[in-house]
Amino acid sequence: MVHVSELTRRFGGRTVLASVSLTIPRGTVHGLVGANGAGKTTLIKHVLGLLRAESGSVRVFGLDPVADPVGVLSRIGYLSEENDLPGWMSVEELIRYSRAFYPAWDDVYTEELRTIFKLDPGARIKSLSKGQKARAGLLVALAYRPELLVLDEPSSGLDPIVRRDILGAVLRTIADEGRTVLFSSHLLDEVEQVADHVTMISQGRVVLSAPLDAIKEAHRVGERLPTLEEVFVARVGTPAVKDP
Amino acid sequence: MRSPAAAIAWEFRRRHRWGLMAVIAYLLFIATLRLSRFGAAERVDFEDAESFALAVVVPLTATFLYLLAVFTHGLAGDLAARQSMYPARMFTLPVTAAALAGWPMVYGTVSMATLWTVTRLFGVWPSGIDVPVLWPALLAASLLAWTQALTWMPYGLPGLRVIVTILWLAAIDAVVMVALHFRASEPVMLALLAPHLPLAYLAARHALSRARRGDVPDWRGLFLRGGTPEQAHSRATRRFSSPTRAQEWLEWKRHGRSLPLLVGILLPVELSLLVVFRETPVLVLETLVLALTTPPIMAAFVGATVAKGNPSGSDPHGLSPFIATRPLTSASLVAAKLTMTIRSTLAAWVLVLIAIPAALVLSGTTPLVLDRAREEFAFLGAPRAVALGCLIITALVMSTWKQLVNGLFIGLSGREWAVKASIFGVLSFLAVIGPAARWLFGSSAAIAVVWNALPWIIAVLVCVKLTAAAWVAFRLQQNRLLGDGALVLGAACWDVSVFVLYGVLVWLVPEVLVRGSLLALVAIQEVPLARISAAPLALAWNRHR
Repeated sequence: MVHVSELTRRFGGRTVLASVSLTIPRGTVHGLVGANGAGKTTLIKHVLGLLRAESGSVRVFGLDPVADPVGVLSRIGYLSEENDLPGWMSVEELIRYSRAFYPAWDDVYTEELRTIFKLDPGARIKSLSKGQKARAGLLVALAYRPELLVLDEPSSGLDPIVRRDILGAVLRTIADEGRTVLFSSHLLDEVEQVADHVTMISQGRVVLSAPLDAIKEAHRVGERLPTLEEVFVARVGTPAVKDP
Repeated sequence: MRSPAAAIAWEFRRRHRWGLMAVIAYLLFIATLRLSRFGAAERVDFEDAESFALAVVVPLTATFLYLLAVFTHGLAGDLAARQSMYPARMFTLPVTAAALAGWPMVYGTVSMATLWTVTRLFGVWPSGIDVPVLWPALLAASLLAWTQALTWMPYGLPGLRVIVTILWLAAIDAVVMVALHFRASEPVMLALLAPHLPLAYLAARHALSRARRGDVPDWRGLFLRGGTPEQAHSRATRRFSSPTRAQEWLEWKRHGRSLPLLVGILLPVELSLLVVFRETPVLVLETLVLALTTPPIMAAFVGATVAKGNPSGSDPHGLSPFIATRPLTSASLVAAKLTMTIRSTLAAWVLVLIAIPAALVLSGTTPLVLDRAREEFAFLGAPRAVALGCLIITALVMSTWKQLVNGLFIGLSGREWAVKASIFGVLSFLAVIGPAARWLFGSSAAIAVVWNALPWIIAVLVCVKLTAAAWVAFRLQQNRLLGDGALVLGAACWDVSVFVLYGVLVWLVPEVLVRGSLLALVAIQEVPLARISAAPLALAWNRHR
């Protein structure tokens, strides 16, 4: 479904991604973990076609996302870390606008999600709280049941209840057969709850990419299976979230 | 950094170091020039007013405008937005609103006053004119201070900032002109101008206090369609027939209403002058010209914001991920903007074409205008006069649209350096074109030379344009941004437009005055092609960095 090969990206003199290779098979929940600034968002932007591969290649559904943005983006649901929904739109205008782009848009599912997320259809996006904005973004990313759901640090700065909604959405997506999730986070306990495959990234390099169970098994200490955070520290040397 | 004042000064210096160094170099240059070439003589005999304009007025005006843009934060802000143009990131600094307003105002007004004083004392000036030292420095500082206060103010409507600022600065200029007309002495001029600085400072402080607490009035509801909540809900849930329609709707909501709104606010003010001037035919006609040129002038301001992809984001020139991830081609995203600009232009002109006849009737100036029209009919003949009138209106409508879209290929590129370079280029061009035109029309020999060279000048411009268009078409095709069919259709439409314009020009302009080949070149040059075709390329460059 997603195939990244030898991808390198530099911003000025700084190498942000160095020969990154990654394959995400259909029907998996793929957690992309790393500290802030590790290169997770840069990698996701390449998958979405928002950054052009300087060297190496990116293929999503077998297509180049830069050469064929319509073919790729019409099958992806994306929740941005920036959460840049237009503030002047009301929730129902956002739904009306987004629905036009996706033939598979499901009105019943949209209404179900809107009710679960307690979103007032008449409310302006700019008047929503950060958590409500994340829910609104999640609603329009899920409502057409995309083949690939891309969540870039979806929980960043949100309260536990909103985080629960997001994880619930991931689980709901997995329940639909054949759908895939790419989920980036520096909160490893969250990733551990839902991911079945994990890629650890540090300073632009993939340090580990394997099924979660295999990772834990490989780092087993006696009878005890380590947490993902412990594995991350063992492989990278520092925790994903640094203590203040 | 020892203090907030030093930090604010450092930011101005650091962000605009190249521009400010250029200003200092310019001031040093004029001082050196005067001392080396003219010695201690304060006055120089310029050959004509145009030389004076080119040597003194043009660089002074360009520098004035540059400093205005720097110290209002105008190079990064959104002039047409309702929100304050003051950088929002600075609102969280642990300093008072007085400091936020005061320090930039101090630096700006001191820079303006220094600019004038140095130019006055060390620049070359024509003999026979008594150039004052103090009050123009105070005027320049006051104009900057008010521009800061008015651009930092939050407004209830998009674009209202432009209108309020222009009207207020024009009012200050008018007061100065009246004082000069009555030969006011320097102390009187200083007394007239002195209160402006503290008043502008208080206004700026108040503006930033409001902006800082997010107090942005919203009067857009006054112009929205009414109806019951059910009707509003029905409008909001109606389906779009296609993704393109949805994108056009978004563009219209974001930018489309700004131009009609600005024109709708300005027109009543301008056309009310018809009542005042109804006894003076020349002023009536000038008022009508002002009203007719309002849409293209306002479109230049609106056009600067149409291309902004992410005005509220950290990078206002970049494209927001929300828009960048729409499953539409870059060409479709640009097409939605173009459709919006066409609708916006037509809406603004509908207002103009309704308001002007209504104002003529209400002010009782219709007979005066009809008399003038009859004179034109008698001179040109009815068909030519009608065609000329239609051509002028069409040219104004096209000019309005061109103002909205000409900068798209720069703005959509998302590169701040490109935007700044284009602003600098436009300012330089505006500063030079006026005096150059005056110089040209003041010399019959120069007119003859330019007239003889005109076909070659236009031919070179046409070659540049067609070469650029061919390169753009090649890149569009190579990058698969536009299909072969769309490229051929676009080229065919452009050809038809050029032929139609050429036909009208040939019919309208006698062969003895202008050769047909020159008219063909003019038609090719006037119908937009290269820059507008480059917009999808620019957007793709921005969208897939």
